[in-house]
Amino acid sequence: MKRLLLYGLGGLLLGGIIHIAAILLVPDFATRDAWTSLGRLGPDGVFHLLPEGDAGTTGLTDLDPAMAHAACRFTLLEGPIRIRAKMPDEFWSLAVFDRRGSNVYSLNDRTAERSDIDLVIATPLQMAKLRENPLPALDRAIIIELPLTRGFLLIRAFVPNPTLAPAAETALRSADCAASLTAPDNGSDPSAAP
Amino acid sequence: MRLLINLLVAIAIAVIVGLGSAWLVLDRERIFGAMTRGAWTAWPELGSPNADPYSRAELARSGALPLGDGEGIAFVADSDDSGAALTDRCNYVVSGQTPAARLWTLTVTDRAGNLFETPAHRHGFHAREILRREDGSFAIALSGEPQPGNWLPVTGSGPLRLTLRLYDTPLTSSGIGEATLPAITRKACR
Repeated sequence: MKRLLLYGLGGLLLGGIIHIAAILLVPDFATRDAWTSLGRLGPDGVFHLLPEGDAGTTGLTDLDPAMAHAACRFTLLEGPIRIRAKMPDEFWSLAVFDRRGSNVYSLNDRTAERSDIDLVIATPLQMAKLRENPLPALDRAIIIELPLTRGFLLIRAFVPNPTLAPAAETALRSADCAASLTAPDNGSDPSAAP
Repeated sequence: MRLLINLLVAIAIAVIVGLGSAWLVLDRERIFGAMTRGAWTAWPELGSPNADPYSRAELARSGALPLGDGEGIAFVADSDDSGAALTDRCNYVVSGQTPAARLWTLTVTDRAGNLFETPAHRHGFHAREILRREDGSFAIALSGEPQPGNWLPVTGSGPLRLTLRLYDTPLTSSGIGEATLPAITRKACR
């Protein structure tokens, strides 16, 4: 009897270890996380418009129905990426998430101090190279350094009333998730450039 | 033989206790890092890289896209000010002021965060369209029946959730502190 109790206690201890391991491993095996759900919308490196507040079809939750959303999965393995978008003159915000869905960087139209988006994401190594050989085209771009290989971006654009939804959606559709690093920043419509 | 049986019992206990407790914890509402002000709760750490492992696991399971520090903060209310769960069988009034923010939106959903089908496609109100009193405060009526003023139609079936999102607010850097959030008062029930 005493021995059985001892085994029971051992089982409980092992159960505690399994509990911790399970919690830590859930993000690695989740199939309904944001990254996987975004992958179903289409290819990487392109912004995809998210359907409005429709948790049932996309699996993405916590979205504000007063906003239009576009998301893009990216990789930094082939070099830094540049994001350009011409945004309407309304509140917008941009968030960078890592592969696990953690928010690693975010800004809004006020903190960006400009109405359009021109953002470069680089790894620390790529950042060092950019510092050595600065590209004149990136003079006005916001350059952020993130220790990531993969992640995704989400742009939220405020839609004050439904009649303005097409304008916000057009802006988000023309957002470029893989803009050329050397394209000059002349304030022109980024969708016009190939 | 005794040893083998004992070992099997111990392993069975370990698996049931370990996986069972993990599942129970993740199946409940987010329990760690909650900041509560009246009926409203926010999870400022949710989605940040230094969130606890339980929040990370919960995030991965839900597919949520939480607001970043540079974007804003979301408050959720599942009950009214008296602590009773919000339900579509009752009428409510959300009234008062919101903390300082450049923009806020109030959305009504079911507990899972899904929007209702409403005839006018109204799922909530935002700071720019709301009718205010002279002192700047506002009152939003949640009801299945048309109401004067700011009417938020509710056509759901069962429990409701209110989400107040504050965009570009000093609360994300200064902390929630003593922020005053709108009151949620229950009115007539069916």
